Amino acid sequence: MAMDLNRVNRNEILHYLGMHGAAPDERTAALIEECLSELNAKVAPKHVFRTFPLHVSLPEEDEAPLLDLGCFTVRSRDLARNLKGCHEVLLFAATIGEGADFLIRRYEKTQMSRAVILQAAAAAMIEAYCNEINDAWKEEYAAKGCALHPRYSCGYGDFALEYQKEFMRVLEMEKRLGIRLTDGLLMVPTKSVTAVIGIAGEEM
Amino acid sequence: MEKLHQSGLVFDGGLGSLLQARGLPPGVLPEVWNITHPEVLIAIHREYLTAGADVVTCNTFGANPFKFRREADTPSGAEGPEDAYTLRQVVTSAVENARKAVSEAGQGFVALDLGPTGKLLEPMGDLSFEDCVAAYAEVIRFGADAGADLILIETMSDLYELKAAVLAAKENCDLPVMATVAFDASGKLLTGGTPRSVVALLEGLRVDALGLNCGLGPDDMAAVARELIAYASVPVIVQPNAGLPRSEEGKTVYDLGAEAYTAQMQQIIAMGARGLGGCCGTTPAHIRALSDSLPTGALRPGDADLHERRQEAPQEPDAASAREATLVTSFADAVEIGDAPVIIGERINPTGKKRFRQAVEEADMEYILNVGLKQQEQGAHILDVNVGVPGIDEPEMLTRVVKELQSVTELPLQLDTSDPEALAQAMRVYNGKPLVNSVNGKQESMDAVFPLVAKYGGVVVCLCLDESGIPETADGRIAIAKKIIEEAARYGIQKKDLLVDALCMTVSTDERNAMVTLETVRRTREELGVKTILGVSNISFGLPVREVINAAFYTLAMENGLNAAIINPGSADMMRAYHAFRALKGHDPHLAEYIAGIPALQDAVRPPGAERKGSGEPGDAGLHGQSREASQKPEEPVPQGTDEASPLRYAILRGLKDSAVGAAKEALLQKEALAIIDEEMMPALDEVGKGFEKGTLFLPQLMMSAEAAKAAFAVIREHLQKQEGAAKSKGTIVLATVQGDIHDIGKNIVKVLLENYNYRVIDLGKDVPPEAVVEAVVREEAPLAGLSALMTTTVPSMEKTIRLLRERAPQVRVMVGGAVMTQEYADAIGADFYAKDAMGAVTCAEGVFAGGY
Repeated sequence: MAMDLNRVNRNEILHYLGMHGAAPDERTAALIEECLSELNAKVAPKHVFRTFPLHVSLPEEDEAPLLDLGCFTVRSRDLARNLKGCHEVLLFAATIGEGADFLIRRYEKTQMSRAVILQAAAAAMIEAYCNEINDAWKEEYAAKGCALHPRYSCGYGDFALEYQKEFMRVLEMEKRLGIRLTDGLLMVPTKSVTAVIGIAGEEM
Repeated sequence: MEKLHQSGLVFDGGLGSLLQARGLPPGVLPEVWNITHPEVLIAIHREYLTAGADVVTCNTFGANPFKFRREADTPSGAEGPEDAYTLRQVVTSAVENARKAVSEAGQGFVALDLGPTGKLLEPMGDLSFEDCVAAYAEVIRFGADAGADLILIETMSDLYELKAAVLAAKENCDLPVMATVAFDASGKLLTGGTPRSVVALLEGLRVDALGLNCGLGPDDMAAVARELIAYASVPVIVQPNAGLPRSEEGKTVYDLGAEAYTAQMQQIIAMGARGLGGCCGTTPAHIRALSDSLPTGALRPGDADLHERRQEAPQEPDAASAREATLVTSFADAVEIGDAPVIIGERINPTGKKRFRQAVEEADMEYILNVGLKQQEQGAHILDVNVGVPGIDEPEMLTRVVKELQSVTELPLQLDTSDPEALAQAMRVYNGKPLVNSVNGKQESMDAVFPLVAKYGGVVVCLCLDESGIPETADGRIAIAKKIIEEAARYGIQKKDLLVDALCMTVSTDERNAMVTLETVRRTREELGVKTILGVSNISFGLPVREVINAAFYTLAMENGLNAAIINPGSADMMRAYHAFRALKGHDPHLAEYIAGIPALQDAVRPPGAERKGSGEPGDAGLHGQSREASQKPEEPVPQGTDEASPLRYAILRGLKDSAVGAAKEALLQKEALAIIDEEMMPALDEVGKGFEKGTLFLPQLMMSAEAAKAAFAVIREHLQKQEGAAKSKGTIVLATVQGDIHDIGKNIVKVLLENYNYRVIDLGKDVPPEAVVEAVVREEAPLAGLSALMTTTVPSMEKTIRLLRERAPQVRVMVGGAVMTQEYADAIGADFYAKDAMGAVTCAEGVFAGGY
């Protein structure tokens, strides 16, 4: 269940803590490692994914291109740019589970300094987990002669956050990952990610 | 119900994928088809019945008031087909379709199907427990009216939501209630629940059957099914998926065909499951193969036969003892009260603790939660919760503390109150199966407590006293225990859900008292077959060096079979007794815990007497003064010679909490409290703040310094209170994360800093409606309100809050902050100030309260 902590990018944690490029003092560095270990005992990384054929309709004047992701359609210039040259898309959702939120909530009540570090460390952990599964897909698709585009999430650019609901439905995120949406379309557990990955290259 | 017990039942299989195969378009709620395509639903139900299913499940999985409108609401017309129908229509037609299929087939039962609401319950989300109960209640009333035969709650992964659904069913119909949950491959629920914590909760709520469905195929479900069957006294239902889902040309397909599925199901049948069926990916073909595979009587074993099957099953926990296990639970795992002694932390209790009583009176949750978490660190397995202070609204306070504690600790709680209304409300909102403290042999007490336990579930502490007081002999106490056990049985409360408290009277009044208690403990176990609990420290009341007596008595009690003790886990003597007993009695394999606990056993845990002269209770400083890391490795000492003028300043600059507490105490011996604050603490805080703004010092250090300062403030405040009453704050600030936003870590950082600067902060939490902000500002006459929003989507909610504040509390100044905020944004929505970070908020507050702005 636990993650390989070597895969978690320490610089990213420092970045989330606002320490852009600055080296952490010894105590902060030690605290970060402690927090990562504590998180690792509580996290349960999980993901689901599905692949769909991609069809892009050329835009009318002044309109964003219409992307048919095989399970829902999106009008978005930015996503179209990201998916340029792709024939297929992979939709995925990943989470490290409620344990991280629980720990952060606990320390917010008792030790704020630890809560802020846990928050940053947990954010870097879900990122690391996404990279890990992404790397595996990259390898798998490379073997088939395909290349993967960088992952793209709703909420980026003009790919509206509203589509989070479609991810929920298509990937059965509630049932399979325990992810639910707030009225404001935020995912809970908060350390969760959804994204589209474009697949380009040889048709299988 | 009878059929389930006597002969077992076959349930139906998947529905959603069948509907899709018959043309249900993606994005349309399946329940709409109950009305628009009844013939399809009737046909599917009938196929399952012909295939051999005894029970068909209505198409109501997603029918709830969050997805379908209520009668009174008018259709908005814009929301798509689901908006055209009311919840009542959708549910009623679903039941009618199933009834029709049953009458055509000539046999079968109709289950009203309830799934998760899709909403988030507190504390993660914004749905309150009672609103969740009410939502399920609506569906249940419609379903029961329409003629459902039973309620099937399924695919649940949040035990709290599950509890709400079961309560709603129990309170709104007389139909049998069955509940199944979805485990993942690790054998846990998404919220951390385990098979035994599921059984404990559901049997406590008195469901008629329980089980598991969805998530996994039969093979992967086997281990969890085995454990569930071992612990459950009621029939177990198992409805797996047709293996694992995979994506094929954009469609989800499952890899187990009917034959393979049926083959995998055989092991689960052999374990003694009484209800079988399928979930995602299963079809009438699966159910037919499953049903055909059952030789006559296969699901129809008599009780003896069933027992035999259980004996044969390999690697199974000892079934008889598992079913007798005394379990208390939270939302996560269960704690078993059995042979290994269990520690119940006693510190959340105002009796004789001035500081704690004050915390209850002021609703100082932070203090109370810290008392709880401290005990968890010290090794408590369960926390006793007593907030009985005269003059407070105890039901309100107890439920609040229970909810707050459950949002930060996974330990089960012992609800400790003599107010039946407080107990009722706390048991209702409790997430899990609680310990209940207590009932006694008085008829009045039993009449008040047992109906609650029968309704909500729980393990009850039974005090050996009654109308005539506490018997002096063990015979007398055993007699009362017997009476309580018999009365409990009348409510269907089993022995495993009772813990007899033999009571201990201090040996300072009669030296035979300890022996009477110990004899009662031993005989309760031997003669009554009931487990025991004891509040140990009473034994030494009125004596000097109480810890010595307490620890020895604790060891004796454990040796006489005491299962659970209510003690102070911060007492080194008690923990030594506990660890030594476990080591000597073989409860600690390879003495691993004993060895791991050595530092704590040697010196880190100070006996309470050493903490402070007098009461022996940890004060604020003692509590916050020891940080988590500090309990493992000591802080670096304040170096001699450095900044000798002010060790306190040094400790704050370096964020050393323990040193700050020590330095503050030292400083108080030499200086006026206010001078310490002005001359040492504030300059240190300012220096830290400047470092943060310049970028030479970062958020973690800022927070550590703030915590060190806070701990030092607590020492100084305590000192001031002794002298001249409460220290005056600079003023009141209301803080809130606006409605719709659930990320409030930024706001919490601001709170810590503002408190450092001696402001009284009213923290309204996250997802706060505009009205609540206004209400607090008006009530507190706060000159300044701080609002945070993380998301662009919640900025409108911030704007709305500001508008309402301008209307109803025009005098208040508003500062805003959060990830998406900018000065432009702040101006656009009419805020007075934009705080770019936590220090910015402090600067802003200093300006407002100094009259500078």
